[in-house]
Amino acid sequence: MNSDPVQDILTAGDSREPQSRSIAVPIWLIVLMVLLLYWGAVYFDQNGGWFSAKVYSPYRSLQEVESFQFRAGAGDVFELGRMVYNKPTCVACHQASGQGNPGQFPPLAASEWVNEPEPGRMIRLVLNGLQGPITVKGQSFNNSMVAWNMLSDQEIAAVITYVRQNKEWGNNAPAVTPAQVKSVREKIVKAHPAPFNPDELMKISPAE
Amino acid sequence: MKYGALVFLSAFLALAASWGGLILAPQIQVGRGQQETNAVNSAELYPQARPGLARQGLSVYRANGCADCHTQQVRQTGSQCDVVLVDAGTNAEALAEALMKANVGISKASAAGLAVGLPKPILRRVPANLAKSTVSAIQSVGAKGKVEIVALGPDIARSWGPRRNVAADYLFDDPVLLGSQRIGPDLANVGLRLPDPTWHLRHLYEPRSEVKGSLMPPYRFLFERRKTGPHPSSEALQLSGKLAPPAGWEIVPRPEALALVAYLRSLRSDTPLFEAPMSSSAPAQTNAPAR
Repeated sequence: MNSDPVQDILTAGDSREPQSRSIAVPIWLIVLMVLLLYWGAVYFDQNGGWFSAKVYSPYRSLQEVESFQFRAGAGDVFELGRMVYNKPTCVACHQASGQGNPGQFPPLAASEWVNEPEPGRMIRLVLNGLQGPITVKGQSFNNSMVAWNMLSDQEIAAVITYVRQNKEWGNNAPAVTPAQVKSVREKIVKAHPAPFNPDELMKISPAE
Repeated sequence: MKYGALVFLSAFLALAASWGGLILAPQIQVGRGQQETNAVNSAELYPQARPGLARQGLSVYRANGCADCHTQQVRQTGSQCDVVLVDAGTNAEALAEALMKANVGISKASAAGLAVGLPKPILRRVPANLAKSTVSAIQSVGAKGKVEIVALGPDIARSWGPRRNVAADYLFDDPVLLGSQRIGPDLANVGLRLPDPTWHLRHLYEPRSEVKGSLMPPYRFLFERRKTGPHPSSEALQLSGKLAPPAGWEIVPRPEALALVAYLRSLRSDTPLFEAPMSSSAPAQTNAPAR
């Protein structure tokens, strides 16, 4: 009787299905993986910028990007004023050129209101805004200006200084200090919370 | 299948991990990018949407496979700073002393000549922190200094752009045509380099007439060759030599060519941004087409 070779193989020896056995992972491989993980984490920490959308190579961290921001320094009031002006605050109506918008918003460039030797009126109208007819450089305007009392004394002093000392606009008036803004703010915060009327402002002594 | 659930779960995890890494994480990181007032020292919003013709040009750019040979991404390998002395102030001695104290390698002897020929750079290629401290030392004695950021890298050296490209530059590109091969030059700032529309039209009609040895194929099907009627077209190409059409004929760009040129001229990314600082001495620009 001829035997079936396939049957022979199947029945020969162990009839159980082959099984895979578990072999322990060598300890050096685990150590290597932990070391790689550690190196990867250190590398990411140093170069990854922690997934910030503001950090691109070649910058490695937000601190490094920030170190390249050369905005107006604390020492330069004029530059700080330029930043405040373009925040955008004043620039929205009076334009980057300081020329305003004919018939709507009066110019700041070479304006007699800006170039007053004493800044009292200008600080008031920036702090509380303006409402009513005003004549600037021989042209009359009738619109309302927003109050900017949410800006700090330092910011208001800087932006007024920027406008008053802007030689490109033909302005040349003395600078304004945060202390001046502070004293005016204290004076009007209770006494006159509403926007000023230009006629009212004319009655106030500008030195106060 | 004894391990069906396990196989399914592993396949699911593998796909989910790559989906999370390639789609979800970038979406969380930059996907909510909005037009922000982040042009440094300026009230301009950045970026500005393209005008209509340039937006149509993007589809012409895409349809003609321009992105197969041109990239739109300037890369940068580093940033350093120059310190420029703008105004020496009135007290030259105090300035020299302040600079020596700031330890920037300026000796007392060379400090005497500082006030000559302003503005002039006094420090070149220094790290940002040293530049910052030097400028505040200069300002503390009543003089004026400013910092110029110098972007470094082969792309910058080829004058392909003043800074690297960042995600904000592509906000209005749909799809974003970054490109992956640089058979031709990078076009991220081509509107800045080459603002002349007639140059672009001649270059599309016959690249080698404008750039010697150019590998670019001519895109003559974007132009129409027609008989000059009673009113010659004002847009007809001014060609000379062998390229010039015979008398009585003119070569006029089709609308596709005009749209493509409008798109190319709208390509510029030279606005200083927080995430891509560049020297603010250059005026803040938008990617609106050059006028």
